[in-house]
Amino acid sequence: MQNQPLTLYSFPRAIIHIDGDAFFASCEQSRNPKLQGKPVVTGKERGIAASMSYEAKAMGVTRGMRISDIKKVCPDAILLPSDYETYSLLSKRFYSIVRRFTPDVEEYGIDECFADVTGLRRPLRMSYEKIAQAIKKTLDEELGFTFSAGLGPNKVIAKIGSKWKKPSGFTSIPGRSIHLYIENLPVEKVWGIGPQTTAFLNKQGIRTGLELARKNEEWIRKNLTKPFYEIWQELNGKFVYDLQTQEKHDYQTIQKVKTFTPSSNERRFVFSQLSKNIENACIKARRHKLAAKGIIIFLRTQDFRDFGIEVRFSHATHFPNEIVKTMEPAFDRVFNGSFLYRSTGAVLLKLEEYKTIQPDLFGAALKIEDMEKLYENVDMVNRKFGKHTVFLGSSFWANKFSQHLGERGDIPKRKQNLLKGETTRKRLGIPMFMGEVA
Amino acid sequence: MPSYAEIMDLAGFKSRNAAFKLVKKMVSQNIISQDKTGRIIPGRSFHGIPILGIVEAGFPSPAEEELIDTISIDEFLINNKEATYMLKVTGDSMIEAGIMPDDIVLVERGKDAKNGDVVIAQIDNQWTMKYFRKKGNKIFLEPANKKYKPIYPNEDLNIAAVVIAVIRKY
Repeated sequence: MQNQPLTLYSFPRAIIHIDGDAFFASCEQSRNPKLQGKPVVTGKERGIAASMSYEAKAMGVTRGMRISDIKKVCPDAILLPSDYETYSLLSKRFYSIVRRFTPDVEEYGIDECFADVTGLRRPLRMSYEKIAQAIKKTLDEELGFTFSAGLGPNKVIAKIGSKWKKPSGFTSIPGRSIHLYIENLPVEKVWGIGPQTTAFLNKQGIRTGLELARKNEEWIRKNLTKPFYEIWQELNGKFVYDLQTQEKHDYQTIQKVKTFTPSSNERRFVFSQLSKNIENACIKARRHKLAAKGIIIFLRTQDFRDFGIEVRFSHATHFPNEIVKTMEPAFDRVFNGSFLYRSTGAVLLKLEEYKTIQPDLFGAALKIEDMEKLYENVDMVNRKFGKHTVFLGSSFWANKFSQHLGERGDIPKRKQNLLKGETTRKRLGIPMFMGEVA
Repeated sequence: MPSYAEIMDLAGFKSRNAAFKLVKKMVSQNIISQDKTGRIIPGRSFHGIPILGIVEAGFPSPAEEELIDTISIDEFLINNKEATYMLKVTGDSMIEAGIMPDDIVLVERGKDAKNGDVVIAQIDNQWTMKYFRKKGNKIFLEPANKKYKPIYPNEDLNIAAVVIAVIRKY
């Protein structure tokens, strides 16, 4: 029974999952030879490790570790402020390169994607394995750091493949070999299975992926919800989860969180930080033509305690003027001047497609029309001269100072190396090699 | 143009009918013509110059098709967009090749270096920009500045990228 395949078909569909190895840290190492072979950690501005090179991982640095702890386990660690601009440029290139091979690409995260290559063996004159390897090789060569790839009959299995051997690995898991790969795989390592479900499954004596896959359909349907029934099907080699190849426009929520240094208990400063987050969230909402019917605002104290509150709006909006005004009383209920705060966050909720508001009896529609015109122009100015060229008065204190003072306020190297004609707000969209050129 | 009464006056006709007959004759000869109400207006041959049609002055606007065959400066400089990076020159080792300090060079990763290419190599944890030279099986890096000596790598030479363009902004 244990050796019996879960399915006889190898690749009824051929899905590749590709994952950048230590993506942010690798972006930094690949552009600066001085960082290669050294423990590099990004996320300095947040005070925690966002990404760490394999050298840093080997020393015991983990994601989310605080700077003070990083310095203890890895005194030689090179801490760098995140350069999201460069990471995003390289992320876009990553997707573009994969799209040279197939149009069906799902941009799953800044450092990972799924690609459907079903039926491309003949046009590309390669086996599925060779296609996956060719994609990986091109990425490694043109982006200058390594990627790991997994090939499977569906997303769940492809994801197990890309994790199988890291860094710079490639693992092909045809349907009839799935059982060999999930036999010893703890069930919580399966994509989509969280701690709650893991605890439940463990109580039922299910500890490995294979034990879950071998359960009969009736038991799964009776004891688990639909998403886990789907995962169970994929573990058995079926193709259930389609790729989301369209650019995402239907966000459920838009979240903007920013840490600042030093922590503060000054009301106007903390409020201003929140106001800036709301402006950022609204910029994104307007870009995707979405409007929110509510917001969650939250404040995080220096000792990592969160205080949040939800506010509902009378109509859907994506104008920060309206939202900031509406949420101010709520902010005062959450804010406590005896705490020091380290970050604020805003989550726009219940997003719907933005439609021009119907005229109403009380003239509110006229005001909204003015707001639309105003923000059309604000967005135009900010597109031309850079984000936050024009900002709300309530965001003044957040814009007056850089986000982080002191050591954590280090600016990414790229922003210190401006070319003639570039400004701190607008730069050439080509990644730059760093360091001296002898 | 004169009215019938004016024609009677001019030609000394006693009757309106005579004027009417004259007008009819001239209409049949295309000298004059009549509008909807019967009033006289100049005919097609009245000015002696037939009008062939209307020609608008000025040049035609550039047609979309004519611009299809042009490329942007990006496309001109860059061949493989995803593999192209830039780098600011700091040293003077390629000065005789016309690459000056503070120039921006565009480089392409993952491209095979050919003899004579300017390349970015990685030596001792540092970038270096030199001519890539290949003589038989021997590979070395040659500077374009007599002050520096060629580099003969002992181990594997790590060529990070090939220079494809130099940009200098004045």
